[in-house]
Amino acid sequence: MSSVTCIELIAFLDAYVDDELDADTRAGFDRHLLVCPSCRAYLETYKETIDLARGAAEREEDLAHDAPPELIEAVLTSKSRRSKS
Amino acid sequence: MLSSTTERVTLSGMLADDGYLIERLRTGDDTAFEELVDHHAGPLLAVTRRILRDEEEARDAVQETFVAAFRGINAFQAESRVSTWLHRIAVNCALMKLRIRERRREQDVDALLPHFQADGHQDHSSVSWSESAEEILQREQSVALVRQCIDQLPESYRVVLVLRDIEQLPAGVVAEKLQITRDNLKVKLHRARQALRTLLDPHMRGAM
Repeated sequence: MSSVTCIELIAFLDAYVDDELDADTRAGFDRHLLVCPSCRAYLETYKETIDLARGAAEREEDLAHDAPPELIEAVLTSKSRRSKS
Repeated sequence: MLSSTTERVTLSGMLADDGYLIERLRTGDDTAFEELVDHHAGPLLAVTRRILRDEEEARDAVQETFVAAFRGINAFQAESRVSTWLHRIAVNCALMKLRIRERRREQDVDALLPHFQADGHQDHSSVSWSESAEEILQREQSVALVRQCIDQLPESYRVVLVLRDIEQLPAGVVAEKLQITRDNLKVKLHRARQALRTLLDPHMRGAM
């Protein structure tokens, strides 16, 4: 890829992040990133978005790990009913 | 609550404690089922909540997960982990509910995607965020804000992001579950991430 524009880089940013581009295309992306602070910031915040989505879910699980007692009870009652039938 | 036991991995990759638990479940040991529910209900509820965004439906999905697990205990593959097996059942139960739920009118995601000038440059320059994801997530209010932004995504994009980036299911599995092609899944995931980035951007530029 000779001269990459912002629109091309952002359209294939997922492939860049996941390392799915061929060597030439990747080199073209790297050259664009060197001279375009806006795309560098976009790439950085795109990756951070993925980290935030994943990290927030993990933190939520840490904050509320236990299931409500009434749910546990409902599952056990449901199983007990099925065992008898 | 029962305390979690130390997990020991056998040569086959299966957890030794899992093996013992499955053996007891297959012989109809009620206390084994209680242990299974007690240990896994919490994490499974977190998964179904993320997919369904409705507490009652999320709890129903967990209940159905354990019923399905109990019924299918003989089909459990010895090389799997119990947590992975239950996770897959829970995702299936939640997606089933999502399908039968009356579909809300799908909003367009285009407004949340970046815009460009005629020469291919970004319409508005992007800027870095002031803190790393790790620093941001130290604050409970930020965790809630990220959750709110994810919940604002149009449904089909939100589900793709939850299953791929949060639950980390393989692309082939997600495409099959959602009955879309892998190419379509890839496009949707990229758009979902971009849309979420747009929603987070005004909050993350300055200190929250």
